Amino acid sequence: MSDRAQSGRERIAALGAAPIWLPAAAAVGLLGAAAGAYELRLLAIAGCYALAVLGYQFIFGRVGALSLAQGAFFGLGAYASALLALKLGWDFVRSFPAAIALALVLAAIVGGTVLRLASHYFALATLAVAELSRIVVVEWVSLTGGGNGLPNVPGLVLLDWTVPRGWPVTVFVWGWVAVGTLLAANYSSSLYGDGARLLRAEPLAAAAAGIDQAARRMSAFLLSAAFAAAGGALYVHTLGVVSPEALQFDVMVLILCMTVIGGRNAVAGALVGALLLVHLPEWFRAFERWALLAYGAGLLLAVIAAPEGIAGAVEALWRRWLGAPPVPPQRPAAPAALAPATLPYAEDRAILAAQALGIAFGGNRALSGVTFFLRPGEILGLIGPNGSGKTTLLNLLSGFHRPDSGQIFLDGRNLTALAGWQRARAGIARSFQHGALAADLTALDNVAVAANGAVPCARVADLFRLPVGDAKRRRARAAALSALAAAGAIKIAGKLGTDLSAAERRRVELARALAAAPKVILLDEPAAGLSDAEKAALRAALREVAARGIGIIVVDHGMPFLMPLASRVLCLDAGHIIAAGTPAEVAADPHVRRAYLGTGAAA
Amino acid sequence: MSWAQIAIDGLALGAAYALVALGFVLILNAAGAVNFAQGDLVMAGGFAAIVFVGLLPLDGIAVPGLVLAPLVALAGGGAGWLIAEVAYRPLRHRPPVAVFISTIAVGIMLQHGANGIFGAAERRTPPLVAGEALEIAGLTVSPQTLAIVAAAALVILLLHQLLERTQLGRRLRAAAQDAEMARALGIPVRRLTALAFALGAGLAALAGLLLANVYFVTPTAGLAFMLKAYIAVTIGGWGSLRGAVIGAFLVAMFEVVAGRLYSASLADALLYVALLVALLLRPAGLFGEAAGRRA
Amino acid sequence: MMASAPLLRIEHMSVHHGRTVALRNVTLLQDQRSIVALLGPNGAGKSSLLRAVMGLIPTASGSIQFAYRHVTDDSPEARAHMGLAYVPEGRRTFPGLTARENLAIAAFATAAERKRRLDRVLALFPQLEPHLARRAWQLSGGQQQMLAIGRALMTAPKLLLLDEPAIGLAPVLVEQLFARIASLAVEGTAVLLAEQNTAAALAVAERAIVLREGQVVADGTAAAIRGRAELDLSELGTG
Repeated sequence: MSDRAQSGRERIAALGAAPIWLPAAAAVGLLGAAAGAYELRLLAIAGCYALAVLGYQFIFGRVGALSLAQGAFFGLGAYASALLALKLGWDFVRSFPAAIALALVLAAIVGGTVLRLASHYFALATLAVAELSRIVVVEWVSLTGGGNGLPNVPGLVLLDWTVPRGWPVTVFVWGWVAVGTLLAANYSSSLYGDGARLLRAEPLAAAAAGIDQAARRMSAFLLSAAFAAAGGALYVHTLGVVSPEALQFDVMVLILCMTVIGGRNAVAGALVGALLLVHLPEWFRAFERWALLAYGAGLLLAVIAAPEGIAGAVEALWRRWLGAPPVPPQRPAAPAALAPATLPYAEDRAILAAQALGIAFGGNRALSGVTFFLRPGEILGLIGPNGSGKTTLLNLLSGFHRPDSGQIFLDGRNLTALAGWQRARAGIARSFQHGALAADLTALDNVAVAANGAVPCARVADLFRLPVGDAKRRRARAAALSALAAAGAIKIAGKLGTDLSAAERRRVELARALAAAPKVILLDEPAAGLSDAEKAALRAALREVAARGIGIIVVDHGMPFLMPLASRVLCLDAGHIIAAGTPAEVAADPHVRRAYLGTGAAA
Repeated sequence: MSWAQIAIDGLALGAAYALVALGFVLILNAAGAVNFAQGDLVMAGGFAAIVFVGLLPLDGIAVPGLVLAPLVALAGGGAGWLIAEVAYRPLRHRPPVAVFISTIAVGIMLQHGANGIFGAAERRTPPLVAGEALEIAGLTVSPQTLAIVAAAALVILLLHQLLERTQLGRRLRAAAQDAEMARALGIPVRRLTALAFALGAGLAALAGLLLANVYFVTPTAGLAFMLKAYIAVTIGGWGSLRGAVIGAFLVAMFEVVAGRLYSASLADALLYVALLVALLLRPAGLFGEAAGRRA
Repeated sequence: MMASAPLLRIEHMSVHHGRTVALRNVTLLQDQRSIVALLGPNGAGKSSLLRAVMGLIPTASGSIQFAYRHVTDDSPEARAHMGLAYVPEGRRTFPGLTARENLAIAAFATAAERKRRLDRVLALFPQLEPHLARRAWQLSGGQQQMLAIGRALMTAPKLLLLDEPAIGLAPVLVEQLFARIASLAVEGTAVLLAEQNTAAALAVAERAIVLREGQVVADGTAAAIRGRAELDLSELGTG
């Protein structure tokens, strides 16, 4: 299958929940066929909400951050477009992008300040921003008409022509919904979207793959605001009147309910949620007064029993019925694509050096005075009894903690002040004890994320898989295939993360580490849970990696795995290095024996 | 409008807010969960008071508050227990945002239930304490205000005794710090968590009773109470009981003062701005984040 | 020598940890008032075994009997009330409570009985007495370890599960601590002790069980286990 067709198929798969589309299209068609002006307007309004929900999926679904400002962006988009039309006489062609731009500016300011807060503060801050904007709008009577709002908002004016009420307006709105849906689906199946999935599942691993969490959250927040404002602008011109009701918390509640009940991670879910919750009060007239109460109950039920919403549940059933879709093999790039790490080094030059590293947690001195170096192409073992600080040392090296004292140099460059994702891009890769992969991505995509992560900055093209972005994705996948081959995992490239065995996860993690073309790889207990045969195979793979000039540090709790593999071993005990030398020397060292066997060790 | 008068109003409002904030922190500590329905429970307490007043023959009684308070608190407690079992327990192993959403859902149900039953109009309960305003040191103090402060003070004192001096309270604190270890010692963590929710909700409902006498209560009032409790707890230090009380008084004072200078809704706006500034500059609050909190 | 009705009886127990098998077909018997050492390298499954006995993690198959009752499906709270106590790796004292409060909450008994138990704990660990009013997080590692064990003893247990009590303690403290542990059995509490510090553990235990990669590879008297060099308990050899 050609690459083009392959991407096309993936785009369609990303739209998700294939069996939902047919009935959804039928529902829309039927509803439309009901033809009354009232029903058509309702349909259009559902479309406006659908856009807001699509946007919410970026920040709430993909990133997992509960923002309570989505309703406010919707209302502000409405007000912006209405005011520009009423006060300045702008037509929709100008007011629509202006409203979106305003939302983006506001989101940039708000996001820049509150996104870095922990989740409960973030939710609170966005709620405060939402309420604040409502109060400002209500109080600024001269501009906004205060509590009564402003009537006679013009319809959808395109240059000289107003979109006629009824069918044309509905089609116009849903045309934009279609655009939004395609963008969202593209995002979801893009490299960027995959990175977001890894970020949500394993934030540390994502940082280790070079993904800048803060930047990702910001772009998701911006997207959510833009979509909401678009929905709001369409809404206000469909409705013909703008009032502070659009900024009340009820709108946020409605969007939240639509998102959770429809399905927060499935693009189709946005449409299902919007259509359903807008129409239910219509279909059950007696329902109307109690609609929001019922929605609250529905929200509660959905969170408990169906966290992926209706669309998610349908998708899960569909997948189970179909079986996992096969990922057609792609041609791997020529082996030269995975270039050896660096220029030839003098034998005694260090690729990684640590000087006097120390860190304490509370009253507990986890590491002190740790000094060592690693040569290019060398495999260094790190052992020590439980609690000696091995994992802490890895965490310090990969940047998850800042040391209290000491420095870290990579290839002569002082890294001590850099954050985890920056060190990853500088050339330090690592694996995790439990195999940190995103369960819903294939092995190939798990690795491709890292290949891209090493390249800074995603642009709009990448986000939405315009041809330029797609090329980048193809390159990342090719690099990923090479890395998987080097790690001996090419056969499992198409398997989903959740289907991989422990040994396979280790291989894929190794491949992910390789895909970023690192200078140093840190492996945390890579042999745990593997059979003897698997251990031998892993050793062989590691030797090959080292032969390319990459330095490797392997943490293990004992010697058997390291003995035939490492050229040098360090032993930690209670945060200090108590022995260093060849594996045989360290195994025989009396200090080491005492650390492991305890005081008063018998012969 | 004298400053002393403002101080007294702020004191009474702060007393009520302190109950709400305390309840919020209790639940936060016990379950590691943000109870977004806390504000709506205040509103529900106000409406429960209205219902009880309608049902009970309270006309001749001098201090109807004495009868209403325990009833409303119990009703709130029952609601809290229900929330623990339905909205918290099934989600306790999920990421904290799930409980956040489930309690938002509960809040929605409370709000729109009240709206459906009582309609959107403002209501007020009859006074807690019958009697005319008193003259104290040249100030006009209504017995209502005194009753609010006295009730809140008593409840806070009792809560303090419970948590610090009884086995139950100590076990509650322990379960909040390390639920698994508490279970391994035989402490009935599930029951204690439900108790914490019941206490937290009961406090909120009681605050609703106190406030419904002085201010109007409407079904949509919950959100503002929620925000104010949240702000109080943030300023005072997330997870700190003492901080919650102090934060509550600070919020109340701010509200009363700003409300005199500007309109009520502008006062709210200023409060939210102050919150945002506080979050940016010192997210750990005045008393710092209590050790090892989740979410 | 096994009594006919051992205090703890684990039979063919398997425990899964996600997709990995943490314990496979483990059988273990322990008498009253005995000290059994559970040895093995890191990752062998010692912690998983203790946690499964306490009921903090579920068993995939097999059964656990304690005090002659089947507890396999019982909650940790229920097992605690039957006389099982647990001191986890890393102590996990309640940091915000004082030392005295840490001890008090574990005793489900009258105030008088509580006082009696407290006195016994303080007799065992007199170093705790001056620190009773301080918050647990303020105590040193050694003091916290004593506090954690004391807290478990306040439940008046029949069997004490100890997970690596020697971690992070200076050798002198380790010696003192283990001497106290030895006296516990004499006074009526059985101890199942998981420890990486093989020497200290074998010095106080009567029996030892060695785990490797989730399976029991040796079960015998302490003297016998100590003598079996080929077990290479620390995996420092060429394995």
